[in-house]
Amino acid sequence: MTDTEQLTKRLPNDIGGTSSDPIVWSDHEMAPWEKRCHALADVLDFHKIINTEEKRRGVESLGSEMVGKLTYYERWIVCFANLLYQKQILHPSDLARKMDEVAARFAEPAPSAES
Amino acid sequence: MSAVHDHSHDHNHPHAEITQDGGPGYYDLMTAAVTELLVERGLFEAGEICRQIDVLDSRTPALGAKAVARAWMDPDFKRRLLADGRVGCEELGISFYDDTQLIVLENTERVHNLIVCTLCSCYPRPVLGLPPDWYKLKPYRARAISEPRAVLAEFGAQIPDDVEVRVSDSTAIVRYLVLPRRPAGTEQFSESELANLVTRDTMIGVAVIDPPGAPRQ
Repeated sequence: MTDTEQLTKRLPNDIGGTSSDPIVWSDHEMAPWEKRCHALADVLDFHKIINTEEKRRGVESLGSEMVGKLTYYERWIVCFANLLYQKQILHPSDLARKMDEVAARFAEPAPSAES
Repeated sequence: MSAVHDHSHDHNHPHAEITQDGGPGYYDLMTAAVTELLVERGLFEAGEICRQIDVLDSRTPALGAKAVARAWMDPDFKRRLLADGRVGCEELGISFYDDTQLIVLENTERVHNLIVCTLCSCYPRPVLGLPPDWYKLKPYRARAISEPRAVLAEFGAQIPDDVEVRVSDSTAIVRYLVLPRRPAGTEQFSESELANLVTRDTMIGVAVIDPPGAPRQ
């Protein structure tokens, strides 16, 4: 089989049965944003905005470089953004503006401890 | 009001993560921004994210262990659990917050079951919580279906050659849970004592339950 034939048969995530490294036992405490990202995925599914199958395909369509270099929840949130653009629920400029707004909010001097 | 800031209760998800330069990271910002935009558009309420975090935090392998221990104690329950995992778990008050179905796979003298999701990370989250990282990484996903005995050996689980190893590959809507074998010497155990023997890894199938008092393999 040629290299290109192999590419047509397997998307980047379709790795079942391929060779790989020994298992390394690994786990990590989820970062707060990762947990929020997971909860967002569930809420998007509950409201039938993005279901699990769309999420999987959305991650696949990030392409092998992003799939390889982004972490698990980084792939999820980028995939959600792409799917929301495709569904014309959000526009990339909306997200850019909102990310600037959220970043600016965090750059403000910290409010008093009680607030 | 924002999705990031309006958490009024005090568990461990207060703000966007702070990175070394003092601000939240790029993907953290993106998550907060997507959430806020969808809330502003009225697609869901900010509180739903908080509530779902609470649901996620409430799911641990202790729930699966409870179902396993009950199945060991109560043959009628076991029959119902094997017939429909979701209905069986719901009977114990374990709610399913998603549309997934659950198939419970019973280990026997002749069959050892192992679960995997080769395409991504599908996992019986309502009964086990979130999967460990190794379950989501390439080595396990790639190799579990083609060389399960080698994978099991790397986890320290030796399955005799005359026991069939059966691997089940999860999907977006069908999830699996392994019902491990009840170890010898537990005849007098209470249900909660039994549940204490059942670990996450034994319900994924990468470990077997040692008889009480046996040295670790």
